[in-house]
Amino acid sequence: MENSLSVILGGWLSAGITIFLFSFLYKDNPLFKIAEHLYLGVGMGWWFIVLLYGTWIPKAYEPFMQGEYLLIIPVLLGISLVTQFIPRISWVSRYGFTFIMGYGAGLVLPLNLATDFMAQIGGTIKPFAAIASMSAGEFINYFLIAAGAVCVLTYFYFSVEHKGFIKKASNIGIYFLMIYFGASFGNTVMARFSLLYGRFDMLYDFSGARYAFATPVIILLTVCFFVYRHIADKKKAGITKTAKAE
Amino acid sequence: MKDRLRRFLNIDRRWLFLLLSVVMIWPIIHPSGIAGRTTQQSVKDFYDFIENLKENDFVILGVDYDPSIKPELQPQAVAALRHLFRRNVRVCILTFISGAPGLIEEIKQTVPQEAGKEYGKDYVVMAYNPNYMAAMTQMSIDFYKAYEKDAEGNTVKGMPVMKGINTYRDMAGVVEITGTGMLDAWVAYVGDKYNVPIIGGTTAISQLGYGPYLQNRQLLGLLGGMRGGSEYETLTGRKDKATSGIDALNLSHMLVIILILTSNIILLVLKEKN
Amino acid sequence: MLIIKKYIPLAIVMIVGLLTLATYYVPAKASQAYLSTLNQWEVIVSGFAFLLGLISLLMTHYKKIVRHEDGWGYSIFVFLGFLAVVIPGIISHGAQADNGTLTSLGWSFRYLYNPLASTMFAVLAFYIVSTAFRSFRIKSAQAFVLFIAAFILILGNVPAGQMLWDTLLGWTGCCSISDIIQWIMQVPSVAAKRGIMIGITIGAVVTSLKIIFGIERQYMGRD
Repeated sequence: MENSLSVILGGWLSAGITIFLFSFLYKDNPLFKIAEHLYLGVGMGWWFIVLLYGTWIPKAYEPFMQGEYLLIIPVLLGISLVTQFIPRISWVSRYGFTFIMGYGAGLVLPLNLATDFMAQIGGTIKPFAAIASMSAGEFINYFLIAAGAVCVLTYFYFSVEHKGFIKKASNIGIYFLMIYFGASFGNTVMARFSLLYGRFDMLYDFSGARYAFATPVIILLTVCFFVYRHIADKKKAGITKTAKAE
Repeated sequence: MKDRLRRFLNIDRRWLFLLLSVVMIWPIIHPSGIAGRTTQQSVKDFYDFIENLKENDFVILGVDYDPSIKPELQPQAVAALRHLFRRNVRVCILTFISGAPGLIEEIKQTVPQEAGKEYGKDYVVMAYNPNYMAAMTQMSIDFYKAYEKDAEGNTVKGMPVMKGINTYRDMAGVVEITGTGMLDAWVAYVGDKYNVPIIGGTTAISQLGYGPYLQNRQLLGLLGGMRGGSEYETLTGRKDKATSGIDALNLSHMLVIILILTSNIILLVLKEKN
Repeated sequence: MLIIKKYIPLAIVMIVGLLTLATYYVPAKASQAYLSTLNQWEVIVSGFAFLLGLISLLMTHYKKIVRHEDGWGYSIFVFLGFLAVVIPGIISHGAQADNGTLTSLGWSFRYLYNPLASTMFAVLAFYIVSTAFRSFRIKSAQAFVLFIAAFILILGNVPAGQMLWDTLLGWTGCCSISDIIQWIMQVPSVAAKRGIMIGITIGAVVTSLKIIFGIERQYMGRD
């Protein structure tokens, strides 16, 4: 499959899709819509194949055929979910959903409690056990973490009216949140640009002779398409104007 | 003057898009070659963790991202796998993200060959599993009930790479590369509960959220986004896609700062004139 | 009928929830066996949950095509895209490579799914510059703090920014920009995230308990 023709074809398809999707930045257009709808189908198709060969066949069908008949229970529970689409018997899907929810809630509860609650409270207090051997800088940092976390929690605590000391603490909490969100924005810039770099880097690769100059040719064709549409739209507008005048 | 400034503030955003395109494409064609000057502590910790693994240790490498965030995370996964292979550690690649198997295949076609590693003996790739909670808890009881067959349909039990491996107790750690909450799941369901060392690689967006885990040593090392990837590549001595990537981001980052400052200065000027 | 439609499902969520919860605290062989079976089952059931999304998407676009609704022509591409992966997938039995060569499924992934998924997200980068210019307004002390944190991260995350900082401020002998970033990540960010984390966990624990005891049952739909 990986001969030069399939590579060239792949390069053209890849570059074409990428440029069509980017064309939305100029304005909404049919090329973008085609690529966008293709994405929905391809994404679902990919997921379907991965599940078929990664889960349904090896984890349900094959073991069942080898005598693990109890597996009919999860299969039926799974199939029950699909009754959502048949209003008359949609209640059957509750069997599948309650199984998923019960399992998820039971599993998540103690783990979240241990990792994101107890361990975090412990992590805030524990450093102060070594207060005697702490430098002034370390103490300030650990104090800021503890005080900041309490202030942020105060900000999210709505059961009490925010006035007096609570208001002050909650206001300090906002500043901690602002630093966090500002830093997050800074990192978001890097993250988003990294993804764009990935696409531009790929387009640059596809602009070479190995891919029969896919990128420049498709960009040129897309520009021609927009120019043609622009002229056609103008003409259409001209005809409508004349017709109205007449 | 005022009107001009106002008009400039309401400039058609497509000019900004064009400007960004230019400052992104230019360094791809002409890399600046400016080297990063620092290494974050969490990156050093990530590197040291792998560096301190013993020969023939067994490690899970979670590749949990799809093509949408590939440029940020694939370089991290590639560099981590190379590093693990260099340490002669056995690697089991897993995924709980449906879009990842294709990316794992891309890695599998290049990295093991370079390192002279053999499938089934030095590493193995498991099939996609849609439920991470189930798989993670199952591996603590019996690995082979979570993964009976690999991604190619071969029976896993009995493969040389799996020798002596039954549960987390037999593993040296987990390296999780992800842009989802999967790293949190490894920390909660595996790291904290079964005392398994966890290190991770994540997107820049998620990086800050792992601060509390790092401070508590619930997470022993972290690579954050392209910068983390490039610093890690420098430590491993093999610069690759993350290094060229971060180089390409120089100008665009400056552009964002200039845009924020410009618009706010214009607003200030307009306000004063009013 | 009410028993079958309502009470048995509620009993399932409660029994499964409580038993699964108990496995965390009771590391007995029986609880491990129970969890092991349930783990296997859960993988299969959640695999089927995907069908909900698939059927819903295909039905919506099928109806659009049949009724010739606005833009129905584009809906054909949803089916084309689906088949462009499913047919190669079935032909190559789900394998993406065969002896180091790409199969038709591997080809579809590399040249179709890969560019589609990555470009969809890459487009967002353009809106960052638009937001930076049009919406990032430093109007209050809080917004100023947010800007300073963002400024330091944007500048210090790239080599050119680090070089610029060292060139302009290196002579002061003050800390490098990376030290400041490190401090932001290790102190105020940890405080803020920890506060958020603890708050979310309290919410999650309450919701989980509500689900197990059948108080929260919106996911079951109407009676």
